[in-house]
Amino acid sequence: MSGFRIAATAVDLAQLRDSLQHPGSGGFCSFEGWVRNNNEGREVSGLEYEAYDALAVIEGGKIVDEAMARYGVLAAQCVHRTGNLKLGDLAVWIGVSSAHRDEAFRACRYIIDEIKHRLPIWKKEHYLTGDTAWVACSHTERAHEHEAPHVHHHAHPRPAEDAGAVAAPPFRPDYSRQTRLREVGDAGQAKLAAARVLVIGAGGLGCPVLTYLAGAGVGTLGIVDADRLDASNLHRQTMYDARDIGERKVDLAARRVTALNPTVTVETRTQPLHPGNAAEVFAQYDLVVECTDDLGSRYLSSDAAVLTGTPLILASVYQYEGQLQVVSGKPGDPCLRCLWPDQPAPGVAGSCVESGVLGPVPGVLGTMQANEALKLLLGLPGAATTDLLLVNLLDHAIQRLPVDPSQGCRQHGGCREVARRALEQAQDDTDVDVHFEHLDEAIAAGFRLIDVREPAEIAQRPIDLPSQAVSSGKITEDTSVFAGGRVLLLCASGKRSGHAARLVRGQGARNVYSLAGGLAALRRRPGRAAG
Amino acid sequence: MTTVNLQYYAQMREQAGSSGEKLTTQAGSLRELYDELRTRHGFSLPADALKVAVNTQFSDWSRALDEGDTVVFIPPVAGG
Ligand SMILES: [Zn+2]
Repeated sequence: MSGFRIAATAVDLAQLRDSLQHPGSGGFCSFEGWVRNNNEGREVSGLEYEAYDALAVIEGGKIVDEAMARYGVLAAQCVHRTGNLKLGDLAVWIGVSSAHRDEAFRACRYIIDEIKHRLPIWKKEHYLTGDTAWVACSHTERAHEHEAPHVHHHAHPRPAEDAGAVAAPPFRPDYSRQTRLREVGDAGQAKLAAARVLVIGAGGLGCPVLTYLAGAGVGTLGIVDADRLDASNLHRQTMYDARDIGERKVDLAARRVTALNPTVTVETRTQPLHPGNAAEVFAQYDLVVECTDDLGSRYLSSDAAVLTGTPLILASVYQYEGQLQVVSGKPGDPCLRCLWPDQPAPGVAGSCVESGVLGPVPGVLGTMQANEALKLLLGLPGAATTDLLLVNLLDHAIQRLPVDPSQGCRQHGGCREVARRALEQAQDDTDVDVHFEHLDEAIAAGFRLIDVREPAEIAQRPIDLPSQAVSSGKITEDTSVFAGGRVLLLCASGKRSGHAARLVRGQGARNVYSLAGGLAALRRRPGRAAG
Repeated sequence: MTTVNLQYYAQMREQAGSSGEKLTTQAGSLRELYDELRTRHGFSLPADALKVAVNTQFSDWSRALDEGDTVVFIPPVAGG
């Protein structure tokens, strides 16, 4: 039975309450929403609710189920009224019973917040003056997103049926602390409001970037992130809470930005940019901030920035230090490839997972990225530098290294030409990664297997199918092993095999593919190590 | 013999076990110096995956060493 229903007539509360009786329940909590006599300064005489019933019942049932799962309560019920309601009438009823009181309170709160946010229910207010108005019920605050008691921005008028609540005025941002700066002023603030900034990665670097840019009043923030929040992120990703674990970062970040500054328009992408769309997406923004821990994304961003003339702020961190580089996108200015022409092989550049990182390190570098972004958008002095900045937070050494463009891509046709070729090559290689659930399917599909892992790894987790071992570091030494038929390279995660496959394709062996996700992505079968 | 100041970043700092050192060397160029250091510290990165800077300017690997040069090796890093 669904825990949610729509009622066109008055509800029998005693019966509802009884339905939540459970032998294991030690607590019961209910919420009632009533029709009150005013909203946003207008005297209200009554309400009319209209629902898209079929959808509301499905979505409402989901919300009740979510609350039960999320807080582990024993039973929950919700009824929402439709039709004409008088002052003091019950508009919505929620009841939750559970072993302990805390989860009952939280589940109750979760259900009402989500209902306000997600249900296709519209409210028409009747005023004493005789006129009426439809009032949006969405975009209410959702307490479970930030349950810390001090973060309460009542950005939107509270719903009329929260009896007794004092309606807060609509949020009006106050940028006076930054407009007071002579170089910013109202003109600068207008530039920020008109700006569109894309932030790629909502992790350790992305958290301060998004927070500061939202606070500063950047008009539109795009957020790209495909990951879900993991407990191991929390020491450095300061926008998120323990209870957010498992949720998509892009959704959490969007909510956080909206909570911080409701006037910011947020655009989200749950898929990473790829060679086929990076330039097109970059062209939609005034500035891009690259905050991923992925070298491939960094190179793709540099190429897209050069090709579209979009300024790009790159940063990366390693343990206790970081690097910062601004790619201006202007002809003649250097890019990432001017420094390191090709993407290094996997494992050469350490990641946070492999090498570790102290939480504040991406915090510092991300904050510097946010500062560079504001400098560029506002045209502040010093914004034009393209130097590589090395920041060591152990000994506080900061080194500025001017990048000489004549020593970089210019020797290979210039940044634009180099970027164009790199994107073209990457697009050609999009079919490199192939998916299989079991390796014998690959063999059935006509692939020959080459295992590019190190001998010690192969010994630890052998594959019990015919394969040849050529470690990834030696993959380009003898191209004769790729002669004839389709070849599938495989490694533990798909990273080394993907890189190796692209390398040998670059040497002309177009028949070489990589097992996407590596051995880790295969389905295990009982009695077999892999396959 | 030339005495130079060396600074290491990222995984090179880890592999060297320090963020820098003073070294007296017979190496004639940055490339020779790096080859010497690879043997000494077991640096895993080949020279062409690195940038090298001398006295806060990026340099060519063929550059000769001068007494008192500060040499910095910079690998690309990926964390975020
Ligand atoms: Zn370049």
